[in-house]
Order: sequence, then C-alpha cells, then structure tokens
Amino acid sequence: MLNTFQQQSHGALPTATHDEAARQEFTKSLKGFIQSDLLPGLGPIYGSKVAKAFEKDHGRPPADRRDIRAGMVKNLYFQHYAAANRIAQELLWESVNVAIDRQLPELLEASAALSAATPAKLDIPEGFVPPRYVTALDIHCMPGGYASEITENDITAGALYDRGVYLYAMGYMGPNNDDMGRSVCNYIRRNMPDFKPRRILDMGCTVGHSTVPFKELFPDAEVWGIDVGGPVVRYAHARAAALGYEVNFAQMNAEETRFEDGYFDLVVSHILLHETSGKAMPRIFKECHRLLAPGGLMIHADLPPFDLMDPFTQFILDNETWYNNEPFWGAMREVDQPALARDAGFLADTIRFDTAPMAVMEFAGAAEGYSDQGSADVADREFVAGEYAPGGGWEVLIARKAEAMEMAA
Amino acid sequence: MNHPGTPQDRPRVIRNAKGKRPEFYETPGMDHAMSMIMVLANEMAVLRDRMDSAERVMQAHGINLAAEIETLHLDQAALEEREARRQDFLGRLFYLMRKEAHEAAQGESAEGYSATIADIAVS
Repeated sequence: MLNTFQQQSHGALPTATHDEAARQEFTKSLKGFIQSDLLPGLGPIYGSKVAKAFEKDHGRPPADRRDIRAGMVKNLYFQHYAAANRIAQELLWESVNVAIDRQLPELLEASAALSAATPAKLDIPEGFVPPRYVTALDIHCMPGGYASEITENDITAGALYDRGVYLYAMGYMGPNNDDMGRSVCNYIRRNMPDFKPRRILDMGCTVGHSTVPFKELFPDAEVWGIDVGGPVVRYAHARAAALGYEVNFAQMNAEETRFEDGYFDLVVSHILLHETSGKAMPRIFKECHRLLAPGGLMIHADLPPFDLMDPFTQFILDNETWYNNEPFWGAMREVDQPALARDAGFLADTIRFDTAPMAVMEFAGAAEGYSDQGSADVADREFVAGEYAPGGGWEVLIARKAEAMEMAA
Repeated sequence: MNHPGTPQDRPRVIRNAKGKRPEFYETPGMDHAMSMIMVLANEMAVLRDRMDSAERVMQAHGINLAAEIETLHLDQAALEEREARRQDFLGRLFYLMRKEAHEAAQGESAEGYSATIADIAVS
C-alpha cells in the first residue's frame, strides 16, 4: 500500500517548514518500509538459518522467545532489522524535536491562550511526583519522556508526543490520532447500545487524543483525562480546546486519583498498562473499581497476553522491551489480567478479552491522504507480529462492577 | 548549544532519550556508521522532495520544469562540467582508498608513524 495519510492540523500542534516536514515524512516512510519489506524476512531467516544453528550449538531446538532471541541477535539480517527500527525511532523524535525547538516560545503561548479560553477544568497540583516507571527511562525513546518540565507551564512533551505518535503510528490512528478512543467508543455503542455513561475517565491520557472521541460520541457526559506528566496534561487541555471540545484534564496517578468513590460510569485506558509496572497494575485495577458507580464498566485497550501467541511471535513483539525503552512491555504480557480484575472486585463472569476493530475506515476519503484503498488496507490485515496495530484491531479487557443488588447477592 | 540570534534564557527541547542505547552490531563503530547512513538517506529524501516542490511551484507559474528537464539537451560544456562534478564526488567518496593507495606507494605504515613520533620526541 502507498501510505499517504496526513495529520490534521490544530491550534496547538507544532508546524513544520518544507524540509522539516519532508524529514518527518521520511521517518514515517522508513517505518512503513521496515514493517512491509524487512519484517517479513525475519521468519524465513529464523526458520532456515537461526533455528538450525541454535539446534546445532545446543543439541535441541529453541524452546521459547529467550532462546529465539539468543540466536537471532547474532544474525546480520536481524541486526539490520533491529538497528533500522531503532534508528527510525530516533530519527522520528529528532525530526519533530528540531521543529519544536524552533517554535517553542510560540507553541507555549498558543497553548496557554487556548487553555485560558475554555471552560474545561485543568487541575495541576503543586509538588506532584510522577512514578518511577515513567521517569526511570524515556519510554519509547522519546527524549525527556512524558514528565520532564523544561520551563514554567511547559507543554513541550505534549507537542512532541502529538506529532511524534502520528509518525510512529504512520497515521493508522487517523488524522487526529484518535483511533483507539474512537474504536472503544464504537465497541461500546455496538455491543452495549443502552449504556449511557454520565461521567467518563480516561487514565494515562497523554495528549487526550483518545479522550476527545468520548466527548464527541457521548456529548452529554462529563469527560476527564488524567496523566502523570504535567506537560502532556497541559497540552491535552489546550488541544481539546483547539478541536472545540470541552474535556477536563488533571495531573493524577491512575493508582491513586483524587476523585471520590463511584464518580464514574466508565473508566477506560488506551495503551497505558504496558507503560506502568508489576506493582502499579493491580493498584490501577483496584482504583478503577473504587471509582466506578455500581454497574459501571472498566475497559483497558492494550497489548494481548503472550499466552495467546507462539514463541516466535512473542520474540518479535518483545523487541520493543529490549530496543525501544519499554521496560514493562514483555512482563505485562505475562500478567494474568482477568485475575487482577477479579481480585479488584469486578464480576467474574463479565471479565473478558475482546477485539475492538480499528475505526480508520471512518476517515477513508474524508481526511487528507486517507484514500479509500489506503484506509481499507490498514483496516483489513491479518495479524502480523511487529506491525503497528497488527490485525486491524485493538485488544480490550472489559470488566463490569456489580450492581448494588448483585453485590448483596 | 549556542543558537545565534535567540535569547540564551529561552527553553530548549531535550534531545537525548534517557536509557542506555543497545548496540546491534559486533563490529565497533558499525552502529554509528549505520545511523549516519540513515541520516544521510533522510537528507537525500528531503532534497528530492524539495526538487519536487520546486517543479510543482514552477508548474503553478506555467513552467513545466519537470518536462523541460527531461528534454534538456546538454552541450559540450555542460557534459564536461557534469562529468567533472561526478568524478570529483567519487573521489571524495572514496578518499580513504586514495589515502590507502598513497600510503602503500609511499611505504607509510603504523609502525613507521609511531617511530616518527618517538623520534621527534627526542630529536
């Protein structure tokens, strides 16, 4: 497919000169090329060379993803693949960072003006300390991470993420990076047409790209996005205002928020859990349960567990752990998430994994560069490990809190 | 870094991601070489995009630059200028081989170099 997807501009988004835009576009092209042309070679390389060499050396075939990795890291094809992936990631952030640095004073002013003009709440407490799992490494190699503050009322990390994640996702998340939120909303409307949440919380919202669709699709609901990064929360607030939506944002930790018991009917997260930790995950599930009103829903859209996959697929996916500063990526896939949900108090027979199909087809022919063919090609894919959003859908974990009478029973 | 023409106290973005970078190749320096090659490839793509933009801007002003480039006839002076530029570029691209051949012709060696340093230190 020829990927010509273009990000929709808005009042908070950094701009790019001709050459900055070309440089950024190249990183998106490079990621697409690695995925479509280099990634498919890994299977044959493993089967015809690496597995055989491993068996010769060890007297047994590779047993799990660790064995496969031990063999593959010595193979030059894999080295080129992994190096190209890493370099693409570095070039991506660098190409956006240079553009942001050029216009940083103007971006700070634009966001401040947008935030000042919206009635939506912005809650940034004094002295908030982000958790170590977010500050120990700069996740997915984004320089500065989510929480670094380089100036007063900083929004830099938000600006970097908004543009960078568009390139990272190669536009698969739509012109506003909102496919995950949109897909979860669609899933709710299709499968639970009578569910009308009054208040909705999006945990780990970064720039609110997945949060805004909930306001769009449930316009009467009070919608909140929370994140541990101050700059991304401030940017999210400005960004939602720029897009014309009244969405509230706060700097809070999903393990321990400042909302009262039972405040929300729906608590969601999008690719949050794999960026937390083994200790944080059960606490987040418990906090979800506390925050939900009786009958409320918890939906986490994240990575499917490893036990559903063969070892080679696990190995491909686990490259993110080793090469892209995603320390919890692999371990998170080994966590028994349904058990965590049960332990947190959710109704056992409501806990399940499901797939929310991508909403990218909604943009076909309606947004710049989103051709009918290109959008269809993204939506209709077989699962291929190592592709972005493999299989054209998002894995969701769903659980419901008991109604008052179910609790009594 | 000092940016001319901008106030020193304005905020600057963070350029390096925290977390030890993995190395993919056993050959020392190869990771650096690969990333430099990819940066150059990136800049080459930027130049090609810029040329494409120039053609489209000219087209908007009624000049079909792309078509005229296709039918451009190079006279003798232009042919010579281009060939000289290509040879000059190749010479710069392969400067290490030029150097190596020169060293071989001159009988220069690492041992000889060390000997010169030792010699100059005392003489």
